[in-house]
Amino acid sequence: MADQLLDQVRDAFEGQIDFEGQRLAEMLTTVMLGAAGIFAFLIGFMAQDIKLALYIGLAGTALTFVAIVPPWPFFNKNPEGWLPPHTATSGISIDVDGQKVG
Amino acid sequence: MHSALVRVQNVFGFFTTVAFTVATLIALSTFINPQAPSASIKLRNVQVVRGRPHYYSYKKEEYAHIKFDLDTDLFELFNWNTKQVFLYIKAVYPATKPGLPPSEAIIWDAILPASSAPWHQNHYIHPSPKKSSSAKKTKKAAKQAAESPYPRGILHLENQRPKYQITDISGKLQNRTDVQLELGWNVQPWVGALVWTNWREYGVWQGLKGGKSETFEFPAIGAGKKLDTEKGKEGHRLMAGGEVPVGGDKKG
Repeated sequence: MADQLLDQVRDAFEGQIDFEGQRLAEMLTTVMLGAAGIFAFLIGFMAQDIKLALYIGLAGTALTFVAIVPPWPFFNKNPEGWLPPHTATSGISIDVDGQKVG
Repeated sequence: MHSALVRVQNVFGFFTTVAFTVATLIALSTFINPQAPSASIKLRNVQVVRGRPHYYSYKKEEYAHIKFDLDTDLFELFNWNTKQVFLYIKAVYPATKPGLPPSEAIIWDAILPASSAPWHQNHYIHPSPKKSSSAKKTKKAAKQAAESPYPRGILHLENQRPKYQITDISGKLQNRTDVQLELGWNVQPWVGALVWTNWREYGVWQGLKGGKSETFEFPAIGAGKKLDTEKGKEGHRLMAGGEVPVGGDKKG
């Protein structure tokens, strides 16, 4: 019971996502932060208001944190399955440093 | 990017890169902002008195008290990246020995805030022109007293008293010749480099036109009377040892 609870807490804290999700997260980070920076400068320069630029940049960063950090479901759409359980009939042989383990 | 902690580190790491890049762009954007500052300084009155640097001093020094007229048009120093402009007037006079650089001493200064700067007690409050002050003293007039009657960077000071009486390292100032008043400033940006007075042209930045008075000389002691430095509000800065020197006729 306590172990189960601990596992849940650890899963929520670690927030693991799958490989495709990691690729997506990386791309989203670059695009969102880059866009926030460009918008912050352009809008601030056009309005001649440096505080506006600052707040746009910070808001964009906050948004990026919210979008990237939690393990949202769209980061876990392509879960990597485990290998099928090993049996003598499976025919899969696993090689580790030249030694057969499977 | 597999765990939340790694994603936090990645996002924050790239955020610092973006923030630094945007800050650099903002700092560079000031250089495409055209500016053509101009100013004129005229000497109104100069007197030299003898006094003590502080109350318990046995040493007597000579102090120059310079009144001046100042008209500036520095509106273009205020762009979106300007936090404040520190404006000062210095008296420049040649050294006694040849080959040494001229002596410089600041007689008056002002902190001109940009519109984006928050209120501060040391910000300069431009005195209102004498005509309008007698018009009516309503609440509106009282409110306007806290704001400059002219746009940012525009100053029209007449017969302005100095903030600081100046002395020389030798303690002797009377009968010195070729003194010149010179305007200077520091433009303090929100991000980027501090910019000093530019007398030359750099790209779209014109050099300061005018900004220097005609040469004059410090008179002998006792020529004239009634000396006042600027008092009250931000003009009055008392520091230890910064007391107004007393007249030369009192006991030392």
